[in-house]
Amino acid sequence: MDGDISWQRPSALLLRARRIQVGLATAPAALVGGVSGATASAVTGIVIAAAILVAGLAAERFLARRVAAWGFAERHEDLMVRRGVLVRHLSVIPYGRMQFIDVTAGPVERSLGLATLRMHTAAAASDARIPGLDKAVAAKLRDQLAAIGEAQAAGL
Amino acid sequence: MTGPLPEAVPPVPGAVPPAPQLPRARPQPGAATSAPEGWHRLHPLSPLVRAGRQFVGLVVLLAGLSVANHRQAGSEIVTDVAVIGVALVGGLISWLVTRWQVADGVLRVDTGLIRRESRRFPLSQIQAIDVEQTGLARVLGLAELHLRVAGGDASRGGRLACLRVADAEQLRRLLLAQARSASQAMEAGPGGSAVPVRSGEVALFRVRSGRLAVAITLSRTGAIAVGVIAGLTAIAVAIGVNKATAYFLPAALGVVLAVWRQFNGEYGTTVVTGPDGLRLHTGLVQTTAETIRPGRVQAVRLVEPLIWRAFGWCRLEVDVAGPRMRRENQSEARRLRALIPVGSRAEAERMLAELLSSQPQPDSRPPRSARLKAPLLYHFLAWAGDDRYVVTSHGRVCRKTTWVPLEKVQSIRWVQGPLQRRLGLASVRLDVAGKRVTGAIEDRSAAEAQGLLMRLPDLARDARARER
Repeated sequence: MDGDISWQRPSALLLRARRIQVGLATAPAALVGGVSGATASAVTGIVIAAAILVAGLAAERFLARRVAAWGFAERHEDLMVRRGVLVRHLSVIPYGRMQFIDVTAGPVERSLGLATLRMHTAAAASDARIPGLDKAVAAKLRDQLAAIGEAQAAGL
Repeated sequence: MTGPLPEAVPPVPGAVPPAPQLPRARPQPGAATSAPEGWHRLHPLSPLVRAGRQFVGLVVLLAGLSVANHRQAGSEIVTDVAVIGVALVGGLISWLVTRWQVADGVLRVDTGLIRRESRRFPLSQIQAIDVEQTGLARVLGLAELHLRVAGGDASRGGRLACLRVADAEQLRRLLLAQARSASQAMEAGPGGSAVPVRSGEVALFRVRSGRLAVAITLSRTGAIAVGVIAGLTAIAVAIGVNKATAYFLPAALGVVLAVWRQFNGEYGTTVVTGPDGLRLHTGLVQTTAETIRPGRVQAVRLVEPLIWRAFGWCRLEVDVAGPRMRRENQSEARRLRALIPVGSRAEAERMLAELLSSQPQPDSRPPRSARLKAPLLYHFLAWAGDDRYVVTSHGRVCRKTTWVPLEKVQSIRWVQGPLQRRLGLASVRLDVAGKRVTGAIEDRSAAEAQGLLMRLPDLARDARARER
């Protein structure tokens, strides 16, 4: 799939951010599930909590591959973004079609100094984002894309 | 109301260009800040038309209730009358504080009593202008003007309700003329001439009412309606008529209304080419006149359902950027504009020739292994493309053919699911700024998809450069 395209990768911290997110989702869920199951019997509680924890660990196994699948390439006229392991996506967005560009960061991402770049076109279906960029890189990329976009802007 | 705007009516910069002289447009002395002669009010009867929906609904409901109950609950009538009264007074206030103006290539609409709202619509951004008449508005000789702009939320924006029919038509022409010159002056504007501009109006298509009625009966809407009514009748017979009507009348009514709405919406569809683009008139009771500006068509779709194919009928829809400003439900808003609600293949061909400068036919079939992935869709699965358009078709029961102009493509996506990977297939999708239409080249061999992904961005860029 790669050919002669030079892919850039999100920050290596993205994997850690995703792990923290999975952990933050799993631990309270296991606790709540365990406690509510324990009202019936202690064994039920332990089984439910264990099941949720196992699911969390299984998700963790996939994280590395999912994170590794992200990539983007700045080409002459357009930006390419690839993602996905099971269903693989590769989007090509011409710079001139970008209507606006967001940089967002959730609490976990912010604590690690990461940000997500989101590119919007006039088509609702073309949802392109690059998560886990270093904050400075994201800001630089945003300004750069906005500048090229303005230079190449095309009407609807 | 989109957001709290402070008392913000910024002064209009510069002088007003040759002001549109509208008959019966009444200047409001003292109302405007710096350009008093440019401001207009809506028609004084518009509150009545706006409240009309509730009014008619309440009357029907009241009549139904009083017939059903055989007892007059006086207090309820008082409540209903009060509701109508409040609606009318609210409408009156809203009429008093609403005014509009065309100046410097911008349409401004100011409204709001407590929370002032001042909206501007740059005419160069307008995608289309509709003239809509509800039943009550037709009786009173009034019409609503809807402005469609691309993107953004589907806010109520761009709506002037109501004006006199003649004024609305004249204003529509004036706005479109200004919009054309504005976008030509900008040059970065839409450009594009998917529709050749002609002087004078040439009739392209007019739907036959009888055929429309038959076609709707034979379509999915009609089939569902017949099914529901048959089912209800069966239940009614089974458990006794009196009980059944009480329970199931609303359901039956809803189904009938859906059929009626489609018939009303598509009755008398007429397409005319004019200097502004394609003019589309529709409607039986509630009429709508729309203009589809040249170069604003994002996608064209030809739909041929199973039964219609037997008669050689088809439906031609276009997707134009911008939200439909309608009060109906989601699925209604997502429906595309039918230029031909039902017509023969020959009529569709003629319309296609008008809409597209070249009409590639989908003839490139996918590899046979695609049959395993999409056993039903495979039947009509194909695509083709030239340097202007990509055309794709798919379906088994209902054949859908979609033309997407390359110069309108917003982004290109390559997708491969797990099953496709096993079979060595991949899909390429072309996104356009429309409602839900995507040019989907599904289930090609991986190598072909890869090649398309490399080639299509360049083709799209060349198409854009040519149209600019």
